[in-house]
Amino acid sequence: MDSGLSIAARGFYAPPVQEIPHDVDADLARRIAAGDPEAEAPFCRRFAPRIRLFGLKRLRNEAAAADLVQDVLIVALQKLRAGAVREPERIASFMLGMARQMMLDSMRNSGRRERILDEFQIDLIPSEEPAVDEPNEGRLQHCLQALPERERTVLVMTFYDDCPADALGTQLGLSTGNVRVIRHRGLQHLRDCLENSEVRDDA
Amino acid sequence: MTPDNHADHPTSDLLAYWLDELDEASAAAVEEHLFRCDGCGARLRELIQLGGAVRKALLNGRFATVVTPSFIRRMQSAGVRVREYHLEPGGSVNCTLAPEDDFVISHLRAQVDDVRQIDLVIDDGHGGSAHRCQHIAFNAATGEVTVIPPVALLRSLGHDRQRMRLMAVDKSSERLLGEYTFNHSPYDPRG
Repeated sequence: MDSGLSIAARGFYAPPVQEIPHDVDADLARRIAAGDPEAEAPFCRRFAPRIRLFGLKRLRNEAAAADLVQDVLIVALQKLRAGAVREPERIASFMLGMARQMMLDSMRNSGRRERILDEFQIDLIPSEEPAVDEPNEGRLQHCLQALPERERTVLVMTFYDDCPADALGTQLGLSTGNVRVIRHRGLQHLRDCLENSEVRDDA
Repeated sequence: MTPDNHADHPTSDLLAYWLDELDEASAAAVEEHLFRCDGCGARLRELIQLGGAVRKALLNGRFATVVTPSFIRRMQSAGVRVREYHLEPGGSVNCTLAPEDDFVISHLRAQVDDVRQIDLVIDDGHGGSAHRCQHIAFNAATGEVTVIPPVALLRSLGHDRQRMRLMAVDKSSERLLGEYTFNHSPYDPRG
């Protein structure tokens, strides 16, 4: 969907290469290119969660996102080992470009994937993805019930099937902007409650 | 929870990205950023997980909420089984919840096209405690307020009566739009 909401102009997501004083990603890429096998596992640990998130966004499917992680890391390691990555300092952009390309790659098939996977001895989807605390069920119930009605309605209808604000506005007879405001407030209230509520932790 | 300490409401931007609300250039910029910034990646994962938890709590019938008729259709098209009751103002219905039902839906019909604010008042039908839900969401074009009661609570009820009232509210007064009575019985397979 392209509803015209633009944030790029605000500069928040400006290219952040300069923001990183010590580019661990680039260092790891250079070490792999130099033949250091010890750099491959940490490289995969850093990029696997990013590729997985990209895959989840595009594919909305955990298993397909996991496959994408493997596919991208396999090709990336092959290219790095072969010295085919010309600008290691731009490795993040390189990885994103590959992820995008692999999404479009109709040549992939499971047989090829499994054959190539056998060539790699490291775990390409390490389990060290940053943990996110799952909200306590009882506390979440309490906090949802404590929300103002319209905020609860908007959050529920948003998250049930990832409904964008313009579609939700049509259903509720509200403007897209109004839905976004209610959604933002609701999320803030919900997160505040989940962080601060002392009750229902035992539920 | 990951601290939301970036400027410019990044959580809203990340959610907009996740929900496909951004224009192509903005979405590409966020994607590029997420491949460099693990903090924002963690924040987005947290949002995704929170959304999943809200969805799960709804499907488990843990809380009541007001939705729209089109939302109910979306649920049904996804395979959710719903039992629906349509009530006119002043109406009552004998209702139940079968084991195979995922949800019970109350469609409260009312003349709402000239109303700015509606409050939903729920009581136990015996003059007992009342709960007032202020400023509920509704679409005047549908001519109804659509309520999902907490299924987990309904399953625990015996014979019970519950009353809902819709109140039109403005700055200085309120008026009754409709009163709806639900006579609940535990499910009886013999009908």
